[in-house]
Amino acid sequence: MPITAKKELTEWLARCATGDRAAFSRLYDATSAKLYGVIIRIVRDRARSDDLLQEVYLRIWQRSGSFNPDRASPITWMATIARNAAIDEVRKSARQYHTVDIDVSDVPDATPRADAVIEQSEAWQRLEGCLETLEQDHRSVVKQAYLEGLSREEISTRMKMPVGTVKTWLHRSLKRLKECLAG
Amino acid sequence: MSGGEEKDMLAAEYVVGTLDSAEREAVDARRAQDAELNAAIEAWESRLSAWLTEYEPVAPPPHLRAAIAKRINLSQTVAQQPRDEPGRLQRSLNRWRTAALTGYAIAASLLAFVIFREAPAAPEDHFVAVFQNDDKQPAFIMSIDLESREVIVRPVTAEPAQGKTYQLWIASDQLGGKPRSLGLIGDATKPTRKTLPYDSELLVAATFGISIEPEGGSPTGTPTGKAIHGRLIPTNE
Repeated sequence: MPITAKKELTEWLARCATGDRAAFSRLYDATSAKLYGVIIRIVRDRARSDDLLQEVYLRIWQRSGSFNPDRASPITWMATIARNAAIDEVRKSARQYHTVDIDVSDVPDATPRADAVIEQSEAWQRLEGCLETLEQDHRSVVKQAYLEGLSREEISTRMKMPVGTVKTWLHRSLKRLKECLAG
Repeated sequence: MSGGEEKDMLAAEYVVGTLDSAEREAVDARRAQDAELNAAIEAWESRLSAWLTEYEPVAPPPHLRAAIAKRINLSQTVAQQPRDEPGRLQRSLNRWRTAALTGYAIAASLLAFVIFREAPAAPEDHFVAVFQNDDKQPAFIMSIDLESREVIVRPVTAEPAQGKTYQLWIASDQLGGKPRSLGLIGDATKPTRKTLPYDSELLVAATFGISIEPEGGSPTGTPTGKAIHGRLIPTNE
């Protein structure tokens, strides 16, 4: 993401809420690559990602008045909207076309680049530290599920685990993560 | 598993993204009423948000910038309507007149013209339109939920007329500018609900009208009959 100060993004969002199109353009220029990156990683289809990016920015424009800077950073708030829209999109299409094949070799590795690790925040290090407390085989899948919006079926394929067991496994992993983060 | 824990796991799976489409929809609907669930979702969003930094930026195709700006402008027209009412109203009026005259109608024939204005305290996808008869009380008030595309037309001072019926119309550039019937308002003493077959992008920029027609509706497919035009009432003042 381009290094645009949190303060500026917050200001632009506030101005969007008053109908300021110039502020919206700046917001788009500063954040669209990040949000497109979120969408395309989950949706994995250019045309659908293009449509979805438009939907997401329209939503951001319409909801800008409800952004609360005390609760989340602007980019987290926007990326969350993009992520939710992308997950909704892939879940819906999975229901329509039951044969969405996932080629595991196409999926980017969830392991962060070494240089990225250095730049990562304290919150990220804490989260990664807690992820380390999960069983080794399980770590990468929890994170991949989050980053790529995997369904239980997709997790079951990756884990070579029956779908019925995925839920139990997921809950156990997430609970452990939560406890660790609270500690 | 306790109820609270179950809720927390539902929130967690919602945030991770593993729920199926129906489950996600159910959570979306439920969180508006369930403050505890909503708080659990926000807590999970916050817990895992550090991973958002791992999404690599990908430059979107350049043409999307203009496409999005265009859509924003459409909704902008709606949100910023108050200062441009007379011009827009005149354009709407002309459009309806032209459409009616180019049809079979002898006289242009609308009871009311409206433009959507956002109601201040309403959720973002809800709009209210007022159909006004001369300078008197509103004849009808229409509310619309863009998400579900449902409209509710409520009569205010409108009364059933002998042998006549009210008919609801929509005009949009995307539909060729000519008014299209949205059906009859069967009983002018009760609210009428309709689900519209158009997408929210079209609806948000459309003009709506109500005309008085012979029983059974306009025989020509365009508004006919007595022409009365209305004006906008700000809903946030």
